[in-house]
Amino acid sequence: MALSGLLLVSYVGFHMLGNLQVFEGAHALNGYAAFLRDMPILLWTARIGLLSLAVLHIVLAIRLTLRNRRARPVAYAVREYRQASFASRTMAASGLVLLLFIIFHLLHLTAGVIDPSFADRLDAEGYRDVYGEIVHAFQNPFIAALYLAGQLGLGLHLSHAVTSSLQTLGLEHAAFNRFFKTAGPTVALVVVLGNVAIILAVFLRIVRG
Amino acid sequence: MRFTLNIWRQNGPDEKGRFVTYEAHDVSSGMSFLEMLDSVNQGLIAKGEEPVAFEQDCREGICGSCSLVINGIPHGPDRGITSCQLYMRRFSDGAVITIEPWRARAFPIIKDLVVDRRALDRIMQAGGYISVHTGGAVDGNVLLISKDQAETAMDAASCIGCGACVAACKNASAMLFVAAKVSHLALLPQGKPERTRRVKTMLEAMDREGFGSCGNQNECEAVCPKRISVRFIARFNREYLRAGIVESGLPAEPESPHAEST
Repeated sequence: MALSGLLLVSYVGFHMLGNLQVFEGAHALNGYAAFLRDMPILLWTARIGLLSLAVLHIVLAIRLTLRNRRARPVAYAVREYRQASFASRTMAASGLVLLLFIIFHLLHLTAGVIDPSFADRLDAEGYRDVYGEIVHAFQNPFIAALYLAGQLGLGLHLSHAVTSSLQTLGLEHAAFNRFFKTAGPTVALVVVLGNVAIILAVFLRIVRG
Repeated sequence: MRFTLNIWRQNGPDEKGRFVTYEAHDVSSGMSFLEMLDSVNQGLIAKGEEPVAFEQDCREGICGSCSLVINGIPHGPDRGITSCQLYMRRFSDGAVITIEPWRARAFPIIKDLVVDRRALDRIMQAGGYISVHTGGAVDGNVLLISKDQAETAMDAASCIGCGACVAACKNASAMLFVAAKVSHLALLPQGKPERTRRVKTMLEAMDREGFGSCGNQNECEAVCPKRISVRFIARFNREYLRAGIVESGLPAEPESPHAEST
């Protein structure tokens, strides 16, 4: 769980950084998108790799959850948590939100099934117009709200996930414990802020077509 | 002081349990939680009813016998103590207090609030021991152990095996218990001979007993009467990784010197 999760997190981080090029304008983003699609072997290796990582992560999560449910057949009548964070107690829920969001996101912007109007549109330089597609999408308040909700799920999931993974890998040291403890919330905050900035910038017409 | 107690009553392991409400009158604020239960039981006995069964022994927080989930928290609202060290002045007069046993598949209820914690003993049998040769005692200061090493080992060794970590864990995992035992033995030279096998056999034993897995929520650390840190769980995970690497150099089927006792 920890290893597959950390690999997925590193992808999410790069994904966010790549997307930030929306602030550099259509040329930069569309050129970047074309650059990624120019290497079909690498692109499909990454896609298959990510898909298998996600499947592995989900299968392990379900198996562990079922086993852990069996470990306590009779629940407590009264239960008070002392220090378990809200994020750590909602990993299954935030994970499910994330899964639904990723499916929607892939159908929406990768496959172009939900909004096919931009699937094959090219910009002035003959690249696929990713920039125009994003601007078109996030100007729609429903799409923007849906993506913001997805980011909420992502932030919640990551804020427990990263710190927990480091602990599972046995990373613990008196000098670095503060760093390990804050790694999860920090990664979550950076990724979510980056992504939310894109959504809001388009929605508030700061970035436009 | 007076309290309303919701206590879990269950006649036997396979019987159906339920909450029964009792009134505790004339409770002194200086009474410990177990003394308060004693006085309730005296009342029940006087009325010819079956007293509430709960486990206790030393009543000074070192034996690990008392095992009560008080208002949803193992060992009650105070940190770093066992149920027996909790005093009634901690509660407001007239409070409603819910008392439950440890709940885990690996800890079947024997009666009322008493659970069978032998699963922890079986985990210890699987690897929580060291090899000591018989014969003359070793001279003092032959094995040099640094102060830091000794202190850290002692922090882990302070585990009294009460099982509150299991009771508090969402997944009823015994990870903090196993991690404390593995860490304490791995930190000291006497524990080195079995170091590599111990971490695997104890983890396997934990899985066999039906405990869940660790989700790093750190609830165990918060209720531990000995305040054992979850840092030992990270250390355990390191030991496990190390064992996976070192093990390849060991014979596949080690002959267990303690096979007859398991």
